[in-house]
Amino acid sequence: MKRISTALIVIAVFAVLMVLSGCGKKPAPAARPTLPPPTTTTTPTPTGGPMPTIELQADPSTVERNGQTTLTWKTQNATSVVIDAGVGNVSENGSVVITPRESSTFTATAKGPGGEARASTRVTVVTPKEVLGVTSTDIDNLMQAIQDGRVKDVFFDYDKSELSPESRATLEQNARWLRQYPGAPIVIEGHCDERGTEEYNLALGDRRGQATKEYLVQLGVTAEQIETISLGEERPFAPGQDEAAYSQNRRAHFTVKR
Amino acid sequence: MIVRTLICVLVLISTLGLVAAQQPEIVIRPPITGVTRLAAADFQSKAAATAETDSALKVFNDVLWKDLDFSAFFEMKSKSFYPNKPIRVPLDVNFDDWQSSVVNADFLIFGNVQLAGSGAVVEAYLYDVKTQQQVLGKRFTAASTTLIRNVAHNFADEVVFQLSAATSRGVARTQIAFSSEKGGSKEVQIVDYDGANPRTVTANGGLNKFPEWSPDNTRLAFATRLPNSPRWEIWVQEVAGGRRVLSAPSSYASSPAISPDGQRVAFSSRSPEATDSDIYLANVDGGGMRNLTNHQGIDTSPCWNPTGQQIAFISDRSGGPQVWVMDADGSNVRRLVTEGGHCDSPDWSPDGRLVAYSWQAPTQWKHDVYVVEAATGKIFQLTVGGASNESPHWSPDGRHIVFQSTRSGSKQIFIMNADGKNVRQITAYGINESPAWSGYSKREQ
Repeated sequence: MKRISTALIVIAVFAVLMVLSGCGKKPAPAARPTLPPPTTTTTPTPTGGPMPTIELQADPSTVERNGQTTLTWKTQNATSVVIDAGVGNVSENGSVVITPRESSTFTATAKGPGGEARASTRVTVVTPKEVLGVTSTDIDNLMQAIQDGRVKDVFFDYDKSELSPESRATLEQNARWLRQYPGAPIVIEGHCDERGTEEYNLALGDRRGQATKEYLVQLGVTAEQIETISLGEERPFAPGQDEAAYSQNRRAHFTVKR
Repeated sequence: MIVRTLICVLVLISTLGLVAAQQPEIVIRPPITGVTRLAAADFQSKAAATAETDSALKVFNDVLWKDLDFSAFFEMKSKSFYPNKPIRVPLDVNFDDWQSSVVNADFLIFGNVQLAGSGAVVEAYLYDVKTQQQVLGKRFTAASTTLIRNVAHNFADEVVFQLSAATSRGVARTQIAFSSEKGGSKEVQIVDYDGANPRTVTANGGLNKFPEWSPDNTRLAFATRLPNSPRWEIWVQEVAGGRRVLSAPSSYASSPAISPDGQRVAFSSRSPEATDSDIYLANVDGGGMRNLTNHQGIDTSPCWNPTGQQIAFISDRSGGPQVWVMDADGSNVRRLVTEGGHCDSPDWSPDGRLVAYSWQAPTQWKHDVYVVEAATGKIFQLTVGGASNESPHWSPDGRHIVFQSTRSGSKQIFIMNADGKNVRQITAYGINESPAWSGYSKREQ
C-alpha cells in the first residue's frame, strides 16, 4: 500500500512538472470528426484536502478563420490554473479572448491541495465561405460532393502506390471540399487490379489508401477524419482482363462512413 | 561412400522427373513415385449383395483406390489384370495369381463389407504376396453407410503407414481449408483432402481470407472484414465454433500463420503511423502484440518453419515482392529468392528443407508454383501452362501440395504430388482460393 502511495505521488509530481515546464504547450491534438462534449476529469492526491473542480467553455465553439472566441472557466478549491495550446497560466476564474489558428482542443488544468482537475473544450475553425456553405450536415454535403464528382477517386499505375501529378491535382481539389466538412468521416478504399496475388494486393491496396490519406492530411484535412480500408482485388470497378479494366480498378475510392 | 552417394543421386534423379529440367542435377526431394507394386482388389459383399451394399462397395472401392494412388507411394497395378475370382477373406487368395508376371504385385489389398443396421462392418486385409504373410488385418465399423468413405480413408492411411516404414501417416483423413466466394462474400470452408464433404466454418457475409490451421487442427486463423466494416481483423476460430478476434494495430491485417507450438500468430499489419505493412507477432490469445519487421515496403504472407525458429515472408523492400527469411524474433533478415518478378504465399515444407511459393515472371501476368531449397536458394518449377497457379501449401507428409489454379476457368483448388505431377481438381464450384492443408489426423489405434 505504501509503495502504491509513493507511486501515486511520483506520478502526480511528474504531471505537475510536465505542465509547469511547458510540456503541456505542445500543439493541440488534431481535430476529431465530431465535436466532443466538454469533459472534466479529476485526480485526487493522497494528501487529502478539498478536491478542485473546473469548468471550461468556448463561446462560440465554431469560428471563422482569424475569428475570435472566448474561453471561460470557473474553478473551486484551485490554487493554480493552466490552459494548454498556448494560453498558459491564468487566474482561478476568468475568461480570455483567443484567435485560434486551427481547430484545437483546449484543456484547462486546475491544481489544488486535494488534487488536480482537468476540463477540455473544442474550438473548430472554418473559413468564412465554408461557414456560409454549410446548410445541411457535413455528412450529407460530403455525400453530395462525392455524388456530383467534386470529390473524385484517384488512380494508380500498376504495382504502384505513389501519387501521380494528376492524382495530386485531384486530391488538392478533393481537399478543398473535405476541409469544409470536418464532421463527415471519410473512408478511403484502396483497390488493385487482379493481376497480383491476393495477399500482396491486400497490402498494396492498404498502401494506396494510406498514401492518399497522407497527402490529404498534408493539405490540411484532419487525419482523424479519414479511415482507410484495403479491398485488394476483391471489389473491381470494371470487369474484364485488359488494361482498360485494370486501370479503372487501381484506385483510391472515396466513401462516407455510415 | 562417394560412389554410393552418386548412385543414390542418380537413382533419385531417374525417379523424380522434375518439371524444372533446367536444373536436373539438384535432388531436393525424396522419390515421389514409389517402387512398391500394390494391387487392391475390389472389396466384396460378405453376404448376398443388395443394391445398398453395391452402392456402399462402389464408394468404398473408389475412395480406397484413389487414396492409395494419390499417396504416391505405390505403383498401383491395374485392376484389368486381376484374377476374376472375388476375394472376401484370406482363404480366397491364390497368391500365385498375384505374383504372376501379369499382375506382378508386391502387396495385395482385399476385404469385405457387411451392412449392419444402418451402418456397415468392413474387414480389410493387406498381404505380402511373396511371403504370403498378413501385414494388416483390420475390422472397421461405420455408424452409417455414408461414413464408409471414412473407413476407406482410415484403411488407406494404415496401409501407407505400414508400407512407408512409418515415414508418412497418410493424408487420406486430412482436410483442406480455403476461402470460397458466395454472392460477393468469401467464407472459410473445409473439405476432405479429396474435395468430399464440404462444410462451412464462417457465415458472416463478409470477406474471410487466407485461412491457416493450428497444428492440432482444432483452430483456423484467417483475416476477416465484416460487411461494410472499415477494418480487417485476425480471427482465430475453433473449427467447432467459438472464436477470438485479435485486435490489429490498424485497419489492415492479413495472412495470419499459427506457430508450430500453437501459441503464437504471425500476421501482416500496419502501425497507425506507418505507410505500409510489417510482420507482426501476437500470442494466440491476442496478447503480447509486437512488430517483427519495421521497414519501408510491404511485408506480408508470413509462414513458420517446422521448428518455429524462422519465418519466411514476402517483402517488396528490394523492389518487387520477394521471399525473405528471418529468425522468429525479427533478427537475421535475408532474401531467399533472387529471381526478380513477384513472389507470394510462401509455405515451408514439413521437413524444413523447402519453401513453396508462387512466382510471376517479370513479363507475364500468370503465376506458377515453385519451391526453393532454404539452405541453397535453388529453385524448381512445379506447375506449367497458360493458367495462373498460386497459393501453394504442403500436405503434412510433405509429399503433396495444394494450390489454386485458373486452369479450369475460375479459381479452383487442386492437389498434386510435390514434384508437380498427378494434379487433381478437388473443387468445381464458384470461386475458391488460398487453400491450406491441415496437419495429420490423429492416428486411431
